[in-house]
Amino acid sequence: MPAWFDAFAEAVAADEQWYLTCGACGEGTLPPRTVCPDCGATDLSREPLDDRGTVVSFTEISVTVPKFHGETPYTVALVAFDAGVTLTGQLRDATAEDVAIGDRVALGVERREGETPVLTFRPA
Amino acid sequence: MSTHIAGVGSTRYDAFPESSSRELFAEAAAEAFQDSGVAPADLDAVYVGNFVADLVEDQGHVGPLLADHVGAREAASISVESACASGGATFRQAVQAVESGAADAVLAGGVEQLSVADAEHVTDALANAADDVYENEQGLTFPGIYALLARQYMHTYGATREDLAAVSVKNHENAVENPLAQFRKAVPMDEVLASRPIATPLRLYDACPISDGASVAIVVGEAFAADHDLDTSVTVLGTGQSSDALALQDRAALDRLPAAERAAERAYADAGVEPDGVDVAEVHDCFTIAEVLALEALGFYERGEGTRGAVEGETAVDGSLPVNTSGGLIGKGHPVGATGVGQLVELTKQLEGRHPNQVDGAETALAHNVGGSGASTTVTVLGGV
Ligand SMILES: [Zn+2]
Repeated sequence: MPAWFDAFAEAVAADEQWYLTCGACGEGTLPPRTVCPDCGATDLSREPLDDRGTVVSFTEISVTVPKFHGETPYTVALVAFDAGVTLTGQLRDATAEDVAIGDRVALGVERREGETPVLTFRPA
Repeated sequence: MSTHIAGVGSTRYDAFPESSSRELFAEAAAEAFQDSGVAPADLDAVYVGNFVADLVEDQGHVGPLLADHVGAREAASISVESACASGGATFRQAVQAVESGAADAVLAGGVEQLSVADAEHVTDALANAADDVYENEQGLTFPGIYALLARQYMHTYGATREDLAAVSVKNHENAVENPLAQFRKAVPMDEVLASRPIATPLRLYDACPISDGASVAIVVGEAFAADHDLDTSVTVLGTGQSSDALALQDRAALDRLPAAERAAERAYADAGVEPDGVDVAEVHDCFTIAEVLALEALGFYERGEGTRGAVEGETAVDGSLPVNTSGGLIGKGHPVGATGVGQLVELTKQLEGRHPNQVDGAETALAHNVGGSGASTTVTVLGGV
């Protein structure tokens, strides 16, 4: 449970999620970053991230690692935000049958006792 | 000054729970020494491709360990870790050492021993190839990552499950004749389609198995070969390597593999070969979609056309561009750190005219090895006489 992700998840829980934008090239990136992956500049600043995004791809997972045993099947989605960053998380309030590429979803987070938080997406 | 493969050796790929990395690696090396006529004492360096010996066998520092076990205790030894591309990256390091003049003879090998641990432990260890926090901890599995690529590819290009399954059918069929392969049984299309789902739209037979095994190639310079009167029928024409973001969410695209495109571009330029000059290829088909994406990244097909290879029979052993005549990762098996070197073992046999699925007149061969979901890729172009 790295501290940087805990802080990121806390911000999502408070609906104060953010991303980093590069002062030199304008590309968006997710924390933690010290150097812009696109141009190498170091003047990165925090910008608020809208909680709505678009499903880019998704998969229903039936065989998983021990940590998620007892939770299958669950659906993982890649969701692109208008700011130019994409996040990976689990679908809630919907199954793989209910979603399609291009659907709009809202970002959330689930805290887990002693574990890394899981990002979630709900139909929006 | 050209660089050659003087000889190759490989264990069969399978589950060998009674064995170990040191035994598998030494078995493959002994065959390569015999095949090449190079002795352990002739080696300047021993490079070992390996991914998770530290996590699965509790054994790190495998470079010198395995150099010792092949009788080259004093050679410069290192292990090279690039997840599933460890083997390809190891071979490229060996080629660069010889090309630079720093070494005359290098053993480039790869090994993975996974069946000594239980499947869950192994799955967890292999997941280290992905971004731990942004992917694994979110519940995304390794098949899941390729499933996301497959879904996006099918959406963009209208490819079907049958189109992907055709890759599995072809590669299982090729494995039947390969004595080094783990699965030597043909699997018909309906069985692939009906196999149990692991991460939709991918099913069990869209995936490669978990395997143990080792493969070795002895890489030498031209002068060394002449001095030692070696029979070097295979020349390294070119190599390329490139990287990309570890996490899928940080990639520029999901329906193509830019690292493979860049690695291929460099290898083709280095070799002076165009895609249509390749006679036979081994590509990294850890999942069926991976072979389709590889065929496009390597310039054999336009984007969105890669499924044609297996569906139309163009990539069959008797097709216009035979791909994975070994059975590939799906049919032959995938002992992670060994796989990239194993591809070169297969292609060396093709170029020497002694492959169980021999391609008539094969003179130029290409290997493509991927780490993770495409974050590291090596491409190697070999030439025969
Ligand atoms: Zn920038």
